[in-house]
Amino acid sequence: MKESKALDPREEVERDVLAVLCRPGVKWLAAVALCAALVLLGLGLWGYQIHRGLGVSGLMHPVNWGVYITNFVFWVGIAHSGTLISAVLFLFRARFRTSFNRAAEAMTIFALTVAGLFPLIHLGRVWIFYYLFPYPTERHLWVNFRSPLIWDVFAVSTYMIVSLIFFYVGLLPDLAIARRRFSGIRKKIFAVLSLGWVGSLDQWRHYNRLYLFLAAFATPLVASVHSIVSWDFAVSIVPGWHTTIFAPYFVAGAIFSGTAMVITLVYPMQRILKLEKYITVDHFEAIAKILLFTSLIISYSYLVETGFAFYGDNVFEAEQFRYRSFGHYAHLYWVMIFCNSLLPLTLFIRRLRRSLPFLFAVSLLVNVGMWMERFVIIVNSLARDYDPYAWGTYTPSLVEIGITVMSFALFFLLYLLFLKAVPVLSMTEIKEHL
Amino acid sequence: MESLKLRPAVFYLLLLSAVGGIALAEYGGSGGGKGSLLVTLVFWSCLAQGAVAVVAITDLVRARWVASLKRELLSLYPLQFLVFLLFLLWTPRLSLYPWSAEPGLWLNEPFFVGRNLALLLLSSLLAALFARLSLRGDRRANLLAVLYLLVFVASQSLVAFDWVMTLEYPWYSTLFGAFFCVEAIYAGFALAGVASYLLRRQRCDADPETARKGLRDVGNLLFGFSVLWAGLFFAQYLLLWYGNLPEEVHYILRRTGSTSALALSGLFLAGNFVLPFAVFLSRKGKRLPAVVGGVSLVVLGGLFVERVVYVFPVLSLHAGVLFVENVLIIFVGMAAFYGRKTLLPRGGEGD
Amino acid sequence: MAETLVFLEKEDFLARLRELKKDGYSRRNLALYLPWHLPEVEEILEVSPGPLRYFAFFGGLCGFVGGMGFILYTVLSWPLITGGKPLISIPPFLLVSYILTILFGSLATFVGFLFLARLPSIQGIGGAEEYGNRFVIVIEEGLRPWNP
Repeated sequence: MKESKALDPREEVERDVLAVLCRPGVKWLAAVALCAALVLLGLGLWGYQIHRGLGVSGLMHPVNWGVYITNFVFWVGIAHSGTLISAVLFLFRARFRTSFNRAAEAMTIFALTVAGLFPLIHLGRVWIFYYLFPYPTERHLWVNFRSPLIWDVFAVSTYMIVSLIFFYVGLLPDLAIARRRFSGIRKKIFAVLSLGWVGSLDQWRHYNRLYLFLAAFATPLVASVHSIVSWDFAVSIVPGWHTTIFAPYFVAGAIFSGTAMVITLVYPMQRILKLEKYITVDHFEAIAKILLFTSLIISYSYLVETGFAFYGDNVFEAEQFRYRSFGHYAHLYWVMIFCNSLLPLTLFIRRLRRSLPFLFAVSLLVNVGMWMERFVIIVNSLARDYDPYAWGTYTPSLVEIGITVMSFALFFLLYLLFLKAVPVLSMTEIKEHL
Repeated sequence: MESLKLRPAVFYLLLLSAVGGIALAEYGGSGGGKGSLLVTLVFWSCLAQGAVAVVAITDLVRARWVASLKRELLSLYPLQFLVFLLFLLWTPRLSLYPWSAEPGLWLNEPFFVGRNLALLLLSSLLAALFARLSLRGDRRANLLAVLYLLVFVASQSLVAFDWVMTLEYPWYSTLFGAFFCVEAIYAGFALAGVASYLLRRQRCDADPETARKGLRDVGNLLFGFSVLWAGLFFAQYLLLWYGNLPEEVHYILRRTGSTSALALSGLFLAGNFVLPFAVFLSRKGKRLPAVVGGVSLVVLGGLFVERVVYVFPVLSLHAGVLFVENVLIIFVGMAAFYGRKTLLPRGGEGD
Repeated sequence: MAETLVFLEKEDFLARLRELKKDGYSRRNLALYLPWHLPEVEEILEVSPGPLRYFAFFGGLCGFVGGMGFILYTVLSWPLITGGKPLISIPPFLLVSYILTILFGSLATFVGFLFLARLPSIQGIGGAEEYGNRFVIVIEEGLRPWNP
């Protein structure tokens, strides 16, 4: 009996996963320091922009939405695959989610944090951002519920709250394990965080239902959030924006980019933290298939959109799509086509799908491609709408580029802190499926 | 009636005579009702292609949800051949489309007929081949599933864009094709629901636990698809409503303007969304085969009414012709379903 | 005096639980501690799914009705036409009420869970007995079924 206990695979899971929470090494500290410095730099640039006004960005008539809104859409999109992996795959009873769900859920929250900053950065007078919320004022004015920007406020903040609950609920039993295996001040912290979870039948019984219901709520939510983001564009009557396929197309794009980001984050994590036993090539292959599938949906949307630009007599639509592919920003368009539509086709080949370095490289390029996609959609349509007299081009300024770099640094900083704060894999679920 | 001993030759003779009957009903001089064949065609292409698509998807993700109904769903693949023949019957009526007066690069009769016939033929061939390989447990079935799904998406998109949407030329909606693909898969799951009602005895005797789980899974999937359907419907409606452009709003006004149009539109909304959503929200709704089967039938009915709503503001319909055509096809479908023992190859998992 | 049975393997635990159930024990005389959720336990002890779904349902309903009601109140309290849309524009209002349905549904479910699972528990935080990866049945002495 004693021997079997020493080799107990369940104990081994706990030991391996909690080993990640050890005292941080020099490399980790260096990475954190670098990210923190970049974040500080970005905050400085933001301060400069608040002080001098939005003129320091490249935004100018007719392009009043530029890199900031691109970043907003990009980061909201990144958030989506976290919920997909944790909620949708849970409902479909896909086992492989177990190796990704914690990292992906954390990613959702961090991506939303970063995304939520951009509408604020984009505001000229950020200190009155609370005008966006419906609250009783002495002017008796309410927000305009017919405006997609207000839908955004509701959708993104609801998404943040629900994701936080989902993340925390998923953590609960693991926090109790951490409480048992640590001592001293860390034990006390984990004890409080775990709310005194003991794993009694009643707790598990309600917990199980809670998780199911949260997954069932999160699934339609995730689809609606990016649909609403897409309607920021699609409800307006701008060529290239006003098209009905935008909602499902954006949702697929969000999952596509988010899945790529999961690979980008989890592959180094698996390597550096030596978690090969728990995150296997099979798991990556399953994720790669999601990447391929969503890439096909996006390519379908590109095809349909471009086809219909030339279907009727709408010269404005036709001109917009001609401009996208051959105009001022054409190189970005072709980068987008290569990264989002052509490159993922290689994943049809089983050997490439199972080669992790290749998959990692694809995921990096997909991130680039999806950022380009948002830029192409936003800037091209604004630069060339109906009236040639009002056409213009846009180039991001150094401030905008610096703040974009800051957003990536902030995202990675939060992720690095997460690695050392809570168990990075769901120990309970891994043990359950042993 | 448990099963029917039907030789393939007899079955295909039956299928051809049904096509003949439909041709007679359509062109036999009933006068009005030029759109009946289009409604029938669009509806059955949705069911026939959707049933096989559902099996292809579940094969690819190795899901067990509908695995036990695989044979039953695959037995409907010959209907795709029927749809192919019906499309041939529809070609003389192409002059009814508003674009036929001024053909363009994409919308001209030879290309229209050519691309659609090619895709329908390819789809039915791939479906037949896939059914064979998949039932035999062949490893190449996965490759065929991918190919079939690609053709399925292309074909259903063209059903939407070419057959239905061009009735309203130059109005267009880019979502239409994807919407039809989702509806076809929805129809496939609804067929699975109907099949699980028809086979309730047999399955319950074999293994009550699996039968219960299978029923619940079908209910859950129908619930999910009812929400997805509503979401896509709303996505299209909202943009047309919000844009408020004359050429776009016109499309909605023609389908909600009169009392009868409004009633029909409400009917398919209720059938495709409200009823399945409300029934399958509760756990009890997913327990009884009769409830699952009944709601599945309502969903199929909703999809049918939706097709009527697409067509009738543009082309006139004749209720009698519509009825005869669909009964004939249901008859062929029943023959395929109950004759599956002799029509389909023997499966690896026994029958 | 409570009797504590500790098992390392799930199968042994479930077998013993079935025996206990046969002997007339029910959920009321037994306290179980599990390292993860076992649906089999609920089947053996015939436990009902519990009232959490009502929290989800009524939370969602309140979110929808409350959200729609609030939006209607705001547009009627200061009737201002914007964007050439009618004052009561149902499609966009449905959207926000739908989001609020999910928000309040999730919050209510979470709060309901905390209430039903008796969390946070001071006793648990203070350091109750921990069984780790073992499956545990605790039989309270005073609560043994009456067996003549």
